[in-house]
Amino acid sequence: MIRYECLELLASKMNNQLLVTSQSGQRIEWSHLSRHEGNLLVGMMGCAIGVATGLALALPHRKVIALDSDGSVLLSLFNLPTLGNLQPNNLVVYVFDNGVYSGSRISYPTATSGNTDLEAMARAAGIKNSHTIREFEDFKVKGVEALTRNELGFFVCKVEESLMHREIPRPNTDLAENKYTFVRYLERTEETTIPFIGRG
Amino acid sequence: MKDELAKRLVQGLKNAGIDFVTYLPETRLSQIVPLIRDDPEMTLIAASNEQEAVTIAAGATLGGKQAAVYMENTGIYVSSYSLLTVGKQLGVPLLLIVGYLGGVPDQRNSFLYAIIGKHTIPVLQGMEIGHQIIEDGANLEGRIKDAVRAANALRAPYALLFAGEFSV
Repeated sequence: MIRYECLELLASKMNNQLLVTSQSGQRIEWSHLSRHEGNLLVGMMGCAIGVATGLALALPHRKVIALDSDGSVLLSLFNLPTLGNLQPNNLVVYVFDNGVYSGSRISYPTATSGNTDLEAMARAAGIKNSHTIREFEDFKVKGVEALTRNELGFFVCKVEESLMHREIPRPNTDLAENKYTFVRYLERTEETTIPFIGRG
Repeated sequence: MKDELAKRLVQGLKNAGIDFVTYLPETRLSQIVPLIRDDPEMTLIAASNEQEAVTIAAGATLGGKQAAVYMENTGIYVSSYSLLTVGKQLGVPLLLIVGYLGGVPDQRNSFLYAIIGKHTIPVLQGMEIGHQIIEDGANLEGRIKDAVRAANALRAPYALLFAGEFSV
């Protein structure tokens, strides 16, 4: 399965969802595929699921999507028991698992290319709706269906290592610029004022 | 900490607009946890560790909440990555409510926490995270409100380190 194809399909399904990415090739690919104002391109590994969880808890009526990678989830395995107990039913996590530290440019294997099964870990942590998807045809059904279900979903998407993101220009949106676009989008669509913005 | 001080601390958080708290409990300030849990106007979220507590609180802040993270000062070390990346780099205000164990004003100071306490402020300074030590209840509500205002204005975490009367 190719990550870019999965992301392309997800991008076509975006309407009023909020989406958080971690730092990896999928951040570059997603920013190329989607200019949605509800995208928060978190520029660090190991933080996306936590930020997405906070958003999902703060806005329980909005669907929140987290795009993560195997390397990033391995940095933040503590998220699994928290999600397993909180069960935010408006959160869907897609972990694009290529089994290597691709960003390092040496592509040494991650634990998931060895004995580690993230789906099983998530399930054991209490996330019942946890699945491994290996084929794009399966992603088109299970992966997309999760967007319309009111249930916490955790999908480990086994993808081939792709270097496509190195051919795509990296996003030139500054983190603060992205944050304010995101927050202003929320203010507009939620018809509210985000408290910390204040007045100059 | 006397129950009255715990109640004032939580009321101070509410007065300052805090409506979402993530936490990993510790010994000095843990009386605030049931008070927050039982308050219908506040959301209390247990985290697996402080790094996660910071990221969840940051997400809630971006989603319109005024969020705080309650932790032991050991959690400053654990969460330093999130504090720098999400807190400082992305610029997300958070109030850090920190049990300041092992610092000079910690009334239960022991060799177990002395090194932890000694390095807490230098680490916060290294990350350029604003902070104050609170040793007693004088103007507690005002100091909490000031800290939240500072965090919002700076678009960054701001830490209140509780010791003294709060540690007995």
